[in-house]
Amino acid sequence: MSALRITVNGREHVLSAPPETTLLALLREHLGLTGAKLGCDVGDCGACTVLVDGQAVNACLMLAAQADGRSVLTIEGLATPDGLHPLQEAFERHAALQCGFCGPGAILSAKALLDANPAPTGAEIRDALAGNLCRCTGYTKMITAVHAAAQALRGAGAEMPPLGLTASPSIPLPGGEKGGGLS
Amino acid sequence: MVLDISRAADMRGIAATADGLRIGALVTHSELVRSPLVREFAPVLAEAARTIGAVQTRNLGTLGGNLATGVPSMDSGPALLALEARVTVAGPRGTRTLALGDFFVGPRRTALATDELLVDVVVPAASLGKPASFLKFGLRKGQALALVNVAAAVRVDPDRRAFVAPRIALGAVAPTVIRAPQAEAFLEGRPPTSEAMAEAGRIAATEARPISDFRASADYRRELVSVLARRALAAACARAQGAQ
Ligand SMILES: Cc1cc2nc3c(=O)[nH]c(=O)nc-3n(C[C@H](O)[C@H](O)[C@H](O)COP(=O)(O)OP(=O)(O)OC[C@H]3O[C@@H](n4cnc5c(N)ncnc54)[C@H](O)[C@@H]3O)c2cc1C
Repeated sequence: MSALRITVNGREHVLSAPPETTLLALLREHLGLTGAKLGCDVGDCGACTVLVDGQAVNACLMLAAQADGRSVLTIEGLATPDGLHPLQEAFERHAALQCGFCGPGAILSAKALLDANPAPTGAEIRDALAGNLCRCTGYTKMITAVHAAAQALRGAGAEMPPLGLTASPSIPLPGGEKGGGLS
Repeated sequence: MVLDISRAADMRGIAATADGLRIGALVTHSELVRSPLVREFAPVLAEAARTIGAVQTRNLGTLGGNLATGVPSMDSGPALLALEARVTVAGPRGTRTLALGDFFVGPRRTALATDELLVDVVVPAASLGKPASFLKFGLRKGQALALVNVAAAVRVDPDRRAFVAPRIALGAVAPTVIRAPQAEAFLEGRPPTSEAMAEAGRIAATEARPISDFRASADYRRELVSVLARRALAAACARAQGAQ
């Protein structure tokens, strides 16, 4: 058994788990935090994305022991008693999720992006979400929502952009066009 | 048994040393992308790391892990091979240094003995700042393995207007990442014309030994080698001439 001391959503947990336990299994099965989803289990789909010390990782590919002494943020830790996080609000407002399976991962990937880069370009948002596969909504509304949340977080106008006017950026080539969208 | 090496301090970090740029095996792809030292002295490695998987993959995946898999489509291999990198390997019998080309033995096979670890990668001083380019072609723009990836590193002698020490490395088209020595020999001493680079691309395609699989046929991969090698050479050459 591995002895672990992990901070999850601001709360420290002292746990023991078999050494082969993934961070995802620890979160879901030991801590009951089922926001991070078990999708492909091989790092392709991103449904298990959580932030470890602020960085987006696939929790299915990380052993729980590797998170020892670190701080993990899951989707359950994003909202406060006062309300949803601006990213969650923007995803809701822009209907960026239908079935919602990819949502916790996509929103946390977007959070890691905005924490490091408060005014990302369309290309940067696409790159940040490239590891979060969505198979029902599509990405356009997510990109619009991330732009809107970025704007809200920057305090650039208390109002969210009106629905429909947040034109979706055209899809650029990777590493090519910077910009697009509302940035 | 699971042995977690992720906190071995002497396998971390990026440092400029007398031998060259030393990169610990545990350095992640994201760290390579962000490293000011890599971006200044071996930017082609940051270019290659930038194409690996998605953010989540780059945040967890390490350079040492990428090389140790011995997977022929790895993206860090060609960039480092074009820069003639060496690797340090350590085990109970001591430490040894190998050329990266000798580290790759076959598909998913490396020179590592079962009780050895890859400790670091050194980009030799002679390759630091050498103009280079990395190109990858996959089936999608995001999170896709290479059908073919190519790195080229060249110097151009401004007086003789000639290629000096051109290096071309190919991924996903042989049992390991390989150099294209005939294409390199063809370019050595030649003026950097687009005709010469196109011919080098065609020669490199004959040096590739690709397989057909569900992602692409061997012929298609060979054609990609020809085109990507020409483009990578042209990009490296433009950087060489821009730097003069
Ligand atoms: C979704 C996804 C997408 C990917 N896309 C790409 C891509 O586009 N391009 C690409 O090149 N790769 C890609 N990869 C592969 C992967 O990211 C890399 O190979 C990664 O660098 C592996 O590093 P790691 O530290 O996770 O190694 P691990 O997976 O932990 O280890 C890999 C192997 O190497 C051994 N090993 C690791 N480190 C050492 C060491 N220091 N010494 C000796 N042995 C060692 C391990 O024992 C194991 O056998 C992708 C992977 C995933 C999951």
